[in-house]
Amino acid sequence: MTDTYLVLKNLTRNKLRLVLNCFAILIAFLLFGALGSLQHAFTAGIELSADNRLIVVNKINFTQPLPIAYVNKVRAIDGISKVTHANWFGAYYQDARRPMVGLAVDGDSYLDIYDNILLSDGGREAWLKERQGVIVGERMAHMHGWKVGDRIPISSNIFSQADGSTVWDMVISDIFRDKEPSADTNFLLFHYKYFIETQTFGKDWVGWMILTTEDSSLNERVAKAIDTNFANSSTETDTSTEKAFNRSFLEQVGSIGLIITSVIFAAFFTILLIVGNSMALSIRERTREIAVLKTIGFAAPRIFGMVLAESISLALIGGLLGLGVAVMLINGASSNPQLQSMLPNLIVPPSILIQALGYMLALGLITGIFPALRAMRLNTIDALNRG
Amino acid sequence: MGSLISQIQAVVAMNLRSLPQRIWMSLATLFAVAIVVAVLLAFLSMANGFQQTVKNTGSESLAVILRAGSQAELNSVITRDQVNLLSEAPGIVRGDKGPKVSAELYVTVDGIKRSSQTEVNLPLRGISESGISLREGFTIIEGRMFEPGKNEIVVGSSVLREFSGFELGNSLRFGKTTWTVVGVFEAGASVFASELWTDVRTLQSQFNRGSSAQVIRVALQQPGDIGAITEYIDKEPRLNMDVKTEAEYYQEQAKAMSDMIFFLGWPLAIAMALGALAGALNTMYNSVAQRAVEIATLRAIGFRGVSAFLGTLVESLVLAFIGGLLGTLAAFLLFDGISASTLGGSFTQIVFSFELSSDAFVQGITLAMIIGLVGGFFPALKASRVPVMVAFSVDP
Repeated sequence: MTDTYLVLKNLTRNKLRLVLNCFAILIAFLLFGALGSLQHAFTAGIELSADNRLIVVNKINFTQPLPIAYVNKVRAIDGISKVTHANWFGAYYQDARRPMVGLAVDGDSYLDIYDNILLSDGGREAWLKERQGVIVGERMAHMHGWKVGDRIPISSNIFSQADGSTVWDMVISDIFRDKEPSADTNFLLFHYKYFIETQTFGKDWVGWMILTTEDSSLNERVAKAIDTNFANSSTETDTSTEKAFNRSFLEQVGSIGLIITSVIFAAFFTILLIVGNSMALSIRERTREIAVLKTIGFAAPRIFGMVLAESISLALIGGLLGLGVAVMLINGASSNPQLQSMLPNLIVPPSILIQALGYMLALGLITGIFPALRAMRLNTIDALNRG
Repeated sequence: MGSLISQIQAVVAMNLRSLPQRIWMSLATLFAVAIVVAVLLAFLSMANGFQQTVKNTGSESLAVILRAGSQAELNSVITRDQVNLLSEAPGIVRGDKGPKVSAELYVTVDGIKRSSQTEVNLPLRGISESGISLREGFTIIEGRMFEPGKNEIVVGSSVLREFSGFELGNSLRFGKTTWTVVGVFEAGASVFASELWTDVRTLQSQFNRGSSAQVIRVALQQPGDIGAITEYIDKEPRLNMDVKTEAEYYQEQAKAMSDMIFFLGWPLAIAMALGALAGALNTMYNSVAQRAVEIATLRAIGFRGVSAFLGTLVESLVLAFIGGLLGTLAAFLLFDGISASTLGGSFTQIVFSFELSSDAFVQGITLAMIIGLVGGFFPALKASRVPVMVAFSVDP
């Protein structure tokens, strides 16, 4: 009879209790896996942003425009390697209730800065040559069944053309991927020139500027130099790193992180109460047996180890099952096109799996440690007498 | 029959009095139920509070007119000519000063959220006197109204609560222009209380918007009836607009967010309730096992199985009920009335308060009782079937 055999026997002696406890732990790790992935999906954009990229927006608010002359003025500032600009188009395809991300950009400089955007051979040249050309992310193209060469009418919920029309004709020049396979490609890029010459809001303005510094250590100095340069002008600027910009953008929705963390904490605490008590009870029930084991020569540390092994096995069985269900759930959900467009980065990231394993061990330790100590310190004579 | 009832009473009392023997298991179940109910109520009160705020905003007797396809005030553009054309539309209330029409401008400016110290989008609405007269709940509670032609702003009461820098008398800088906060207004518990308001002409000139507007509000002759205006717009080629009642407009704006809170909250609560159910079953099976001799003895002296069944079931229900109450109390103390803000449909912050409705209270207690009922039922069944022999066994 090995210890493993004994642990297994102890674990399965009350099958109903085993099932109930496993189920409670399963629920906790299902929530952890699913919510953790959800939170990851919300913040993934932040993690993927480059360190030396800065965003310059109008100080009043990022929805207010900047003069296009600023692009060249900024280019002259020391420590900056590349500058580009973008305009929010408020794009939608046929159904106004389903807006999509569409930007009017200066193609060449934009692709220089966002070098994570991968085009096919000759795709870049083809796009730059075509006035009405648009490049579409793999995911967006897939969702609408678009191919290179398709003519697509893209509407704007903000802008209109001189004749009052709000639809722009575009030709798909290429379909792009991202260097990082999990990155979001649910957006389209088309030419600033085409946009600014056809819309009626007045010329010579851009939505925001994006620039890269020569080194991320220069970020702060460059940001300050830009904002000081335009201080007291008719349009003041607010420069921040892309990371900080994305983070504060996300903060606007609310403290998603805080809400998710609180729910996970509540779930774990509940399960800790239930499983911990149940574990303590099953050891108490076995007081006499443990005394017998000690009497026949089982050393105290060995008993301690056996109880801990039991509680950790319990946590691992329930936890791994829960994590498995979470992975299935998230994979199922992320293939839903509507969810995919809202949360493009919905996957169970490896970091969540590793954290979950850590929490399983911790849960097993915490629920097992007191019963194990009790079993280890059990006074054999007392225990046998009590029975 | 009388004897059965007194049997049941006796067994229930015995069960409850023996609770302290299983104090830790029982407490664990009780707290588990309390936490589940508290989490559910947190989400429900969040969804409810948000919905209430948005619902209070929309009026059936006003119509919101936006450029076709623009979906939100922020995106829309309407020219002066279009405003004039629309003023001629039928179905609009006409007062002494002409048709009750309000052309408004809606721009976004930065504010600092107190809780996170991060920059957020706040709406600065340009509005005229006639626009204000359309809002029924509007009152200045501090300071005074802005004067047309001056860079003066009145702020909603929720803005003051949730974002810093907008206190009465403060100067605000938007670009090269400086504005003064001259008043604070109340607008019911509505979205408007999350906005900054100023004179529409001043805003047009300071933000280089010429004479354009973004949204038109009109007072409807027949509340809820936008048929006449829609027909007028369809016939007029120079007008390419969407018309909705204000109530409908704000409902659509809020739908995505309140749906998300609601559909996140219930599945979470149900998953957690299943976990708590496992705990309740554990506890009650344990209770039955512990009292097996006692139950069998009662059977031996003539108590019926149904009394053992009910004794266990009531014990479980009592635990769940106390847990449910505790959870509700915790939710009430922790969440009710706390202020929060999130992005609304127009890409700007909407301030709302968590609001625990009586509906949510009933739902929370119901969920607790379901846990108690299911968690007690199967163990109770077992209790009612404890064989009488157990009473005579030496070692249970």
